[in-house]
Amino acid sequence: MNVALKKMDQVYRGEYTFTNSPAAVRRFPLPFPEDRYMYSVNIEPHVAGPAGSVIEFPIDCDEHYVEECYERALVIKRDPLRIQALPHMMSAQWDTLELGMQSLSQSYPHWFTLTRQGRGWHWINRPLGLDQHFTFGDPASLPQPPLEYITRQLQGDWVIMDQRDNDLWVEGGMVTGPADWSMDFDMGMSFKEWHGPVPLGHEMGVFDRALKFLLNLRLNEPVRRYNWTMTVNANLDSSPHNYDEWGPDRSTVTLENVAKKLHLRTELQGLWRLPRSNGIVFMVRTYMLSLADVATVPKWARRVHRVLRDLHPALVDYKGLTRHRPIAVQYLSQFDDGSPTTSGTAPE
Amino acid sequence: MLITGIRSKPIYAPLQPDLGGRYHLMVGYGVGAAPLSRLLGDFDRAMPESKAHTRIWYVADAAAPQANTEAFRAANIAELRSFNAIDPMLSDLTAAMDQALMGTRLYVAGPESFMGLVMRIAHGFNLAQDEVRAEECGTLARRVHCIHCRETIENVRTNIVQCGCSRWLVVRDHYSRRLAAYMGVMIDAEAPGERPEIKEVFL
Amino acid sequence: MSASHADTIPVRVVAVEQITPQIKHFRFAPIAGGELPAFSGGSHIIVVMRGAQRVYRNPYSLMSSPNELDSYQISVLRVEPSRGGSTFMHEQVQVGTELEIAHPVNLFGLAKLARKHLLLAGGIGITPFMAQLHDLRLTEVPFELHYATRSPQHGAYCELIAQAEPQRARLYHDSAQRFIDIEELLSRQPLGTHVYVCGPAGMITRVLDTARALGWPESHVHYEKFAAPPTGEAFDVHLQKSGIDLHVLPDQSLLEAIEAAGVDAPYLCRGGVCGFCRAEVLSVDGELVHNDHYLSNDEKASGKAIMPCVSRARCSKLVLNL
Repeated sequence: MNVALKKMDQVYRGEYTFTNSPAAVRRFPLPFPEDRYMYSVNIEPHVAGPAGSVIEFPIDCDEHYVEECYERALVIKRDPLRIQALPHMMSAQWDTLELGMQSLSQSYPHWFTLTRQGRGWHWINRPLGLDQHFTFGDPASLPQPPLEYITRQLQGDWVIMDQRDNDLWVEGGMVTGPADWSMDFDMGMSFKEWHGPVPLGHEMGVFDRALKFLLNLRLNEPVRRYNWTMTVNANLDSSPHNYDEWGPDRSTVTLENVAKKLHLRTELQGLWRLPRSNGIVFMVRTYMLSLADVATVPKWARRVHRVLRDLHPALVDYKGLTRHRPIAVQYLSQFDDGSPTTSGTAPE
Repeated sequence: MLITGIRSKPIYAPLQPDLGGRYHLMVGYGVGAAPLSRLLGDFDRAMPESKAHTRIWYVADAAAPQANTEAFRAANIAELRSFNAIDPMLSDLTAAMDQALMGTRLYVAGPESFMGLVMRIAHGFNLAQDEVRAEECGTLARRVHCIHCRETIENVRTNIVQCGCSRWLVVRDHYSRRLAAYMGVMIDAEAPGERPEIKEVFL
Repeated sequence: MSASHADTIPVRVVAVEQITPQIKHFRFAPIAGGELPAFSGGSHIIVVMRGAQRVYRNPYSLMSSPNELDSYQISVLRVEPSRGGSTFMHEQVQVGTELEIAHPVNLFGLAKLARKHLLLAGGIGITPFMAQLHDLRLTEVPFELHYATRSPQHGAYCELIAQAEPQRARLYHDSAQRFIDIEELLSRQPLGTHVYVCGPAGMITRVLDTARALGWPESHVHYEKFAAPPTGEAFDVHLQKSGIDLHVLPDQSLLEAIEAAGVDAPYLCRGGVCGFCRAEVLSVDGELVHNDHYLSNDEKASGKAIMPCVSRARCSKLVLNL
């Protein structure tokens, strides 16, 4: 991959130099298969998608890989509690490390290599310049605990859950790019508790059904779904902890700057059953696209305009869109001539 | 963001005897004495022989009347212990749970912030949901965890409170059993200084 | 059967040993070489046995160590009378036989927050515990294994267990009039103990009943369960719009049968929760078997809708508006 020599610590903060290449724009996973949006249990098997798409491989590494890993390291340095795991989750940590290394080395063999001889593993990460021999199962043989070690080399947030008492419990994770939730606060919560702050979903039975499905999640049969929100500036780390840093930006959106400042933010969520712990790992892989880039794809411009315009008020509030939605809708309306959009999320 | 109507907020119910349990440990603070007395009466009617395996630990609150502890004495249970402060009781509770056997039931009564501290200990012993019963009574004042500086503010009665870190926080219904506290999030991050009226809502 | 979903692993039997007159031990290695999937103690696999007349799919607990993945080990009790699976294993499976196995599923896992584990095994029920012993030895959490068999001759692996766990395992033999005193055991366990039972149905019932009577919460009492295969009786289907007739086999879902007939039916989760595959029922000369979590009770009762990914029918003809 071509890594431009830019200041890594200004990509997702400060100067916000984050940009998407034209290829990245076209592979962006639009979270709207139709012109209106409401919650659903939109779970599907996480099987290989079209070549070049974000779902071609189980764990996607894109052109932002190095800078996103750098950003993650920055967040942890400021707030070490963004990576945690309760003591009983060690086998889940190793499960996740294995998943990450196997997946990356199989999907991107020119960047990552994994060789195993019994418990002696050798991992090479060329983009980050890492070369590590270690003993699988022995935390002392790695520079950080296994979950931290591997997730420092993965894009997206990662949460590990224990399954017990017919429920799932969030008891570990690396969360440096959340859409306004705190893993530290939510540690130890059950499935419905940590989804407590989501409006409407409970009344609709969405969480009941999702939980029932996930309790039966099987090895080798991962699933995925899409979620979304919007972000002012390419600010990955929009957690409650630093809300006083990114919150004020919500009031700075104008018709003049909305195209560049406001970003559509898609979460590709993946869920895998873990073999040794029998837990579940939850990947929240985030993609951001400025409205200016959305507008370069005519179908997407019309669709996003309509979705935002007609969005349920409770969702507007929950997703933090109140202040800038009217401006976004106004900006996008110029691209919407009312013509029909094809179903599905492809650019056309 | 959702402030109220969040499903992580604990739901409490009036204490009732669990006749399926073998050992009953009842813990109360201040006005929690009343539900415990009522519970003792219910047990006496339903299963008087449970007395031999029933213990009450009561923490006095200077503000609450003492009279109800007489009802405890009159009930003639296996053990009655009185404490003047919460912390020593919690410390003894930990030791007692280390010795307790399967079949034990824990009943807790008092203000929510007291119960949160007791529940945290119970969780450390892997007590299941149906091994613990909790009845909320007394003040609704909350323990609040400032999500920004991570400090805990005790005894919060208002919807908006200023943290020691000087941020003004709105108190949400999102509750963490691990921290035994509700989340406090900055109320005026998006428009500094713009704060709704402060009201006493957790009385 | 759709290919992408629920892939099985081809294995070859590399060892067979008669352990007791009724119990045989089998070791499988992957035909493709390398390692088999990692698993958690308490897991079982479905072994697919292709007999002359029919296909058997029997669940067997993995008894091998989760740390040694070059092969899996199971033990099979010959059940008389048998629906065929265990007989097939005993009579037709030899070294060199090739079989397929599904990925491990664990419905009998160790509780990670337990302060103590109490394992109660009866007869062939010892098998999941043998895998779990390896996991348990890696933790600091105290545990006890109590293993009851008819006699030392009928008991599989008694010597092995006695040698491996002289302090933490205790053996009981009906023949010596030594029985597990379930009531005594369950009445003196510290708070936070979890009890696990695997054995004959009568033993499981006794443990469950005793635990309840002694005030144990259900969440701390675990008994071996196997994942129900998505089977049922065969039935015929007519797709009104496509004009196609098809037959749903016992071990095939309705959705899979529709797809096998070349019809492009909508689906998403394939697990009965998302609602995408909802099909309209025009008629059924029998009853619908709803296995989903999507339709409301009223919708299920109305008989007008079905979720083909997990639900079936007990009938001779189901007509769908597809």
